[in-house]
Amino acid sequence: MAEANNTTVTLKVHRFTPRPERAERARGGSPFARKSSPFGSGSDSAARRRPRGKQWVQEYTIPARPEDTILDCLLAIKRTVDPTLAFRYSCGHGMCGSDAVAINGTPTLLCTASIRDWAKQPGALPQVDDEGFRHIDNGQDESSDSPADADGAYEATDSLGVIELAPLPGFPPQRDLIADIDPMLNQIRKLTPYLEADGVLATTAEGKVNAFEYLQHPEQLAKYETLSNCIACGVCEGSCPVFAGGDAFIGPAALIWASRFINDSRDTKAMERMDAIDTADGVAACQSVRACSRHCPRGIDVGEEMWQIVAKVRER
Amino acid sequence: MSPKRLEDMYDAVIVGAGAAGLSAALGLLRSPEITELKEQGVEPKILVVSKLQPLRSHTGSAEGGIAASLGNIESDDWHWHYYDTIKGGDWLVDQDAAKLLAEYAPETVINLERQGVAFSRTEDGHIAQRRFGGHTRDFGGEPVKRAAYAADRIGHQILHTLWQQCVAQGVEFAEEWYVTDLVLTDDGQQAAGIVALDTHSGKIQAIHARNVLIATGGAGRLFHTTSNSWDLTGDGMALALSAGLQLEDIEFVQFHPTGLAHTGILLSEAARAEGGILRNANGEAFMERYAPEHRDLAARDVVSRSIMAEIDAGRGVADPKDPNGPKDCVWLDMTGIDAERMAQVLPQVVETIEQYANLDPTKDLVPIKPTAHYTMGGLPITTDGEVYRWDGTHRTVVNGLFAAGECSCVSVHGANRLGGNSLLDACLFGTRAGHALAARIAGNPVDSPMGDETADDDLITAVDRAAEARNGELTTLLQGAPQSDTESDAESESNAGNTANAYQLMAKLGSIMEQALAVRCSADTIAAALEQLDTVIKPQADHLYAHDHTAAFNQEVTAIWEVRHLVALAQAVLMASDARHESRGSMRRLDFPERDDEHFLAHSMVAAAGSVTFKPVTITDYPPKKREY
Repeated sequence: MAEANNTTVTLKVHRFTPRPERAERARGGSPFARKSSPFGSGSDSAARRRPRGKQWVQEYTIPARPEDTILDCLLAIKRTVDPTLAFRYSCGHGMCGSDAVAINGTPTLLCTASIRDWAKQPGALPQVDDEGFRHIDNGQDESSDSPADADGAYEATDSLGVIELAPLPGFPPQRDLIADIDPMLNQIRKLTPYLEADGVLATTAEGKVNAFEYLQHPEQLAKYETLSNCIACGVCEGSCPVFAGGDAFIGPAALIWASRFINDSRDTKAMERMDAIDTADGVAACQSVRACSRHCPRGIDVGEEMWQIVAKVRER
Repeated sequence: MSPKRLEDMYDAVIVGAGAAGLSAALGLLRSPEITELKEQGVEPKILVVSKLQPLRSHTGSAEGGIAASLGNIESDDWHWHYYDTIKGGDWLVDQDAAKLLAEYAPETVINLERQGVAFSRTEDGHIAQRRFGGHTRDFGGEPVKRAAYAADRIGHQILHTLWQQCVAQGVEFAEEWYVTDLVLTDDGQQAAGIVALDTHSGKIQAIHARNVLIATGGAGRLFHTTSNSWDLTGDGMALALSAGLQLEDIEFVQFHPTGLAHTGILLSEAARAEGGILRNANGEAFMERYAPEHRDLAARDVVSRSIMAEIDAGRGVADPKDPNGPKDCVWLDMTGIDAERMAQVLPQVVETIEQYANLDPTKDLVPIKPTAHYTMGGLPITTDGEVYRWDGTHRTVVNGLFAAGECSCVSVHGANRLGGNSLLDACLFGTRAGHALAARIAGNPVDSPMGDETADDDLITAVDRAAEARNGELTTLLQGAPQSDTESDAESESNAGNTANAYQLMAKLGSIMEQALAVRCSADTIAAALEQLDTVIKPQADHLYAHDHTAAFNQEVTAIWEVRHLVALAQAVLMASDARHESRGSMRRLDFPERDDEHFLAHSMVAAAGSVTFKPVTITDYPPKKREY
């Protein structure tokens, strides 16, 4: 990549700094206001979804190569430009699931998204996405005002384009690109997400064990192996228009986890698990939009799996 | 998830929520002692504190397998595993611990399966096993299939299963809390608790506990090229040093042979176990020359050194992404593996290569270079997970202080860890530490009306004092730059003008350490690094401050403390490396190229001040031999 050293990318980051807690507390004087449900509903939840603070969009133009990931670029920004920018990241290669955000409005992971795939030339026409929808966005106007373009033509020829970053939709933003994904984890926890079998564990005496593994044939494993690869990143949830609406839907991730155990030949609670998701906010809430399948970093066809589990629940 | 309210006193606080921390929590809660307590109506007060949401822990990135002599594919014997572990560690292994590791490995793996791990299976439904470097039959003979696997996602499966079981047990977590202090009582004889930064609220929390278990993982971020996640900053090890404790064998850092070039991302050893071959610039399968018997599946230190020898001899290749760059890679040739099988058993390896190198491993050669992977050393522990001090002749246990997993050193890995033994160590010794914790708790539970609280005052005083000091430091860090900059608007969006920051310093430290210690070192490289540490890194680390004043989710504050932890640890690693005048396992001293059993068949013990003493190795069954593959 000989040309790569001269190219730049512009990241437009939706930033947010929460107001210090002191100001928040002064607001609510009622002793009855803070009795919250563990699953987040009612007035407390509404308050959490609209945290108060300062919001702005910040642009960073930095050197980058087309094959760099967006995470690489954000880390370079932390090192060289702005150490205050906040975003979650850990393993850097798509296994830990901590860095789901909205890239150009689409939920996906920072560490698997390359500049090549996501940078858009400002003003490039027609501005229509894969599904043929036109974005109602005045990105063109904004970028011509920005200092990044002040050098005119020279900048334009070297720029790989613009990428817009925002926190994962459907979850309360906490700071910059960090969103509160506890609602998803709480929904997962609610559905007894652990293997329930005889519960006996092996012990060793003189180098010999007194119990063996449950037998499971490869074709039985194949029924749930893909589902067990879910890393709970929240990309499917951020993509789901029903989940984004609030508490109406326990969400695709919780259902994937439930399905993982329902389809595990070792588990003895399949019927109870299906009862637990056969609710108005469970399988009934899925509208088969299938947006959840598009960017699953583990390659799970979430929409299809939803369809399968809905069918299975209906047939029982 | 954070606790709604902290308890005034905990029975146990577990720091870290990877395989070791979660195994300890489960071992504790499932123990007969705790079951009995609960039947009496006494609830143990346990809190797991972790820097990350537990499902993000680095255990989830482990790919290849977990070793156990299940003998599901071919006959195996735990004594062979025991021997391989000792030989793999170049005889710097405490044999009492390695014996437990091998003997209880089948139980550990079977119990992981019985808790839900989706292991790959044999046709008849048993846990599938594959070959892994250094695992042999008949005490060093033919390779044996000993690593139980789940495609190449064993770590993900284990991490998720353990977390799921913790959900079943109702374990309470304090997530995204960064531990800043390990507090002992004033006499240093007893654990008192911890101090942590709740990164959500930005508040310092004092957590009082009669028992503390440290399970914070490794320190790969000491080095620029590492397979470790960004969070592996050696926190637990640095906490121990600043609490006045020692680290054991900390100079031994395993460089995994196959990091994807210039990312450091791991390509599992399974890639070679399934038939991948290392080749130099001439296309030669060079491992035949270095390890005629086991070739590409020799122990990791042997393979990493062979790769570096090829590169040093001018037979390296440049990363295709940087064709004019240094020739500091070799090729991993996977083209001989059947494409269908590759997709089936190495999906993660294939995906990583496609995603981050834009290459097709079924057709293209893949550039790799050794990447910092695992710290064999750590907090010295007994086989029950108790942390102890070494005074030159005796061990003295610190009451109520435990450790498990990569941050600890029970010394089953010695000078070099075998593949498949790290998950095993974390799960097995994590569980054992949990059992030991349970026994201590049962003697005097916090919740018991008959309990003895007389000693608690000392613990509370010590922790509160540390928390107060830490809180003062936090306030200073958040005030921003000293003097000159402070008159600017307190609400400033970012102080982009100020360049020195923790992230930059971490990168600088990584380059220095890599130059000094990666795969090989000498007195000169160590001295050069120590000097730079003193003249460049430490002064900068001391003057770091946060560029934003809001405490909530202020990642820079955490990064400042992380880099300070790394600096303290780097010093200890360099001092311990300097003291060992021999080459053994992962440690290759260019100025002392031979193993020296007469003087250095001993564990190093280094303290924060840099003083190094040595402790004898426990040898019960297998006297040292020459180590060849």
